[in-house]
Amino acid sequence: MITSIAWKNVWRNKTRSLTVIAAVTIGVFAGVFSMAAINSSIVQRIDAAVNEELSHIQVNNNDFRSSSDIRDMIIDPSAVISALEKTEGITEVTGRIIVRGIASTSAGSTGVEITGIDTEKEKQMFTIDRKLIPGTGSYFGSDTKFNTAFIGEKLARELNIIRYILTEEALSGLEAEGVPLTVIEKLRPLEGQRFTTEKKFSAAYSELLSAKELKKYDLKIKETAWSYREGSRIILTFLDMNNNQTGAAFRISGIFRTNNDLFESLTVFVPAAELRQLTGIGEGRFHRIIARLEKDDLTDDVTPVIREALPGYEVMNWKEIQPDLAMIADYINQMYAVFMVLILAALAFGIVNTMLMAVLERTRELGMLAAIGMNRRRVFMMIMLESIFLSIVGGLAGMAVSGIVIAITGRTGINLVRYSEGMEAFGYSAHLYPTIGAEFFVTLTILIVVTGIVSAIYPARKALQLNPVEALRGE
Amino acid sequence: MKVVEINDVSKTYHDTEVEVKAVDGVTLSFEKGDFAVVVGPSGSGKTTLLNLIGGLDQPTGGEIIVAGHRLSELRPSELIDFRMEHVGFVFQSYNLIPVLTAAENVGFIMNLQKWPKEKRKARTDELMQSVGLADRHNSRPSQLSGGQQQRVAVARALAPRPEFILADEPTANLDSKSAETLLDIMEKLNREEQMTFIFSTHDIRVMKRARRVITLEDGRVVSDERTNSDG
Repeated sequence: MITSIAWKNVWRNKTRSLTVIAAVTIGVFAGVFSMAAINSSIVQRIDAAVNEELSHIQVNNNDFRSSSDIRDMIIDPSAVISALEKTEGITEVTGRIIVRGIASTSAGSTGVEITGIDTEKEKQMFTIDRKLIPGTGSYFGSDTKFNTAFIGEKLARELNIIRYILTEEALSGLEAEGVPLTVIEKLRPLEGQRFTTEKKFSAAYSELLSAKELKKYDLKIKETAWSYREGSRIILTFLDMNNNQTGAAFRISGIFRTNNDLFESLTVFVPAAELRQLTGIGEGRFHRIIARLEKDDLTDDVTPVIREALPGYEVMNWKEIQPDLAMIADYINQMYAVFMVLILAALAFGIVNTMLMAVLERTRELGMLAAIGMNRRRVFMMIMLESIFLSIVGGLAGMAVSGIVIAITGRTGINLVRYSEGMEAFGYSAHLYPTIGAEFFVTLTILIVVTGIVSAIYPARKALQLNPVEALRGE
Repeated sequence: MKVVEINDVSKTYHDTEVEVKAVDGVTLSFEKGDFAVVVGPSGSGKTTLLNLIGGLDQPTGGEIIVAGHRLSELRPSELIDFRMEHVGFVFQSYNLIPVLTAAENVGFIMNLQKWPKEKRKARTDELMQSVGLADRHNSRPSQLSGGQQQRVAVARALAPRPEFILADEPTANLDSKSAETLLDIMEKLNREEQMTFIFSTHDIRVMKRARRVITLEDGRVVSDERTNSDG
C-alpha cells in the first residue's frame, strides 16, 4: 500500500515530476550515449589492433624485438607451433618473417617493416584482406610472375603511388555524393589534370572554391578524385641472412585502408615464400609466431600458460604489445563510473529539491498520517519510494532512449570525418559505432536506485521531524 | 466501562517567555458509548485536551489512561501504534489522502493494521453504506463535497473499531445541511456500534445533539453536564 501511495504521490504534481524525470532522462541519456560512443572507439581500436595488426599472442625470439636482426629467429618453430596448437583457447597459429627495410619509388622512400606471411592462413586469421580499397587490385592475386606486396594507403600516398585526377567519372561521383553543380562547375577547369601529391591537388582546387565550399566539400573531393594505376611497383631494400644488402621490385597487388596511419605507413605484406627466397631464410623458419584466441577475454588466462610452456621465448599478448590500448580500455572503464556518478550526483540535487518541495507542501497531510498511526518507518519508506520512482522512471526512460539511439547509431555509425586526421593518426576510427555492454545497464540501474535513496534521505528526515500536532495546526 | 480516564492533567507551553497553561488540572473520564462534546471559547484548551487524550501530545502533569495504557509511559513510536490501534481521528479539514479513493481512504488504517483483504473490504463496504456513500467508492476526495469528505473521514476513523473517536471541530467547515447529515450519521454509528465520540466544537448544532457537554475555560473544566438529547 505504501508503494502504491508513493507512486500516486509522484503524479500529484505532474509538471514538477515530469520536469525532474525529463532531467534524469536527459542526464542518463547523455551519460550513456557519450560512454557508448567513447567505448565504441576503444572497442573498434582493440578489434582493429587484434584483427588487423597484432593477433592475441605473439611469440618471438627473446632478442628479436630489441635487435630487429634478421638472424634472431625462433629457434625451434615447429615445437613452438605445436605447443601453441595444443594450448586450450587457441584457435589458429601462423608464423611470420619480419624484415626491416626501405620502400622506395621514383618519388621517394621510407622505412618499412616487411612482413612475410602465409597469405591464405592470414586471410583466415585476420581481416586485413577485407580492408582492401576497391579499385586498387586484390589482397594477393594469382600473379606469380612478379613479387607482390599489399601495402597501406598512407604508404602509397607517401610513395606517390596514388595520384589525383578529376576525371569525368570523379565529377559524376561528386554529384552523386551531393556536391552541388555550382561547385562541380568550379572544379571543371581541373578536369583531366594529374597531380602527383595531395598537397598540390588541394592547392589547385582551393583556389577555385570559396572557404565555405572548401570546408564543406574538401574531404569528398579528395576521396573521390584520387586515382591509382594498377600494377605500380615499389622497390623494397633490406639485409639478407648474410647481412648483405638485397632488394627487389614488388608489384602492388592491392592497397588497404585501416584507421591506423602508423600501421598503414609502416607495414608491407608480402608472401613469405618470396621473402624467403630473397633473404635466404629457410623453409619453416620464422621471426614471430602468432596465435589467435577464441575470444579477447581469454588473453589474460592463456598468456601465462603459454609463457610456462615456452620458457626460452618472449611471449607477449596484445595488451603487453600495445599497453596504451589496454590502459585506455581500463581507464575508460573507470571513467564510466566516475562520469555516471557525477551526472547522477548533479541530478540528485534536482530530486532532493523536488522531494523537499513535496514534503513541505504536504506538511499537514504528513502530520495527519502520523496522527492516525503511520509510523516513522512507513513515512520514511513512502518518501524514499517517491524519490526512487522519480529517479527510476527518468533512469529507465533515459536508458530506453539511449538503447534505441545506440542501436540506430550502432548500425549507421557516427561520422566524425571532419576530425578524422587527428583520430586516425592515433589509430581510432572516424566512424564511431556506439556500443555498450548489457552489464553496464545493470550497474547503472543500481546507481540510479542508489541516487533515489540518497536523494530521499534529507527530505525524508524533514518529514520525520514533523510534529503531528504542529503539522496539523499548520492548516 | 471507562474508555478514557484523565487524572489531574495539565499541559503547559513555554513557547514564549510567558508560560501558558493550556490545560490546567483536568480530571475527567469517558464511558463506552459516550457522545460528548468539549466546548469553550477559543484558547480554552479544547483542542489541547483532545490532543492529549489522543496521544498526539504529552501532558506536563497528571496521567491519562486509555484502554489500560498509561500514555505518559509510552515511547513516541509506541504512541504512534497506540493511536493506530485505539483512537479514531476526525479533523476539521477532513484530511483525507488525496491520491486515494474514498474506499481506499476508509481502508487505510485497516491496511496499516494488516487486516485481511476480504475482511477489510467487507468493513469498508459496510461503512461506506452507513455514511451514505455506497456509490462513491471510487471517487477521489477532490470529487466529493466537503460534507461527503467528512463522512469518509468518519468512516476511516471508525473502520478499525477504535476505543473512541476524537473529532476536532468536525462541522466547522460544513454547511448546515451537511453538518446535520454528518451528525445524523455519527449518532447512528454511536448507537449501532456503541462507538464513543468525543468532540471539540463551537457549533451549537453539535452541542444540541450531545448527551454530555463539558465546558472548558482557561484550561479548566467549569461544567460537565449530561443531557438526554436525542438531537
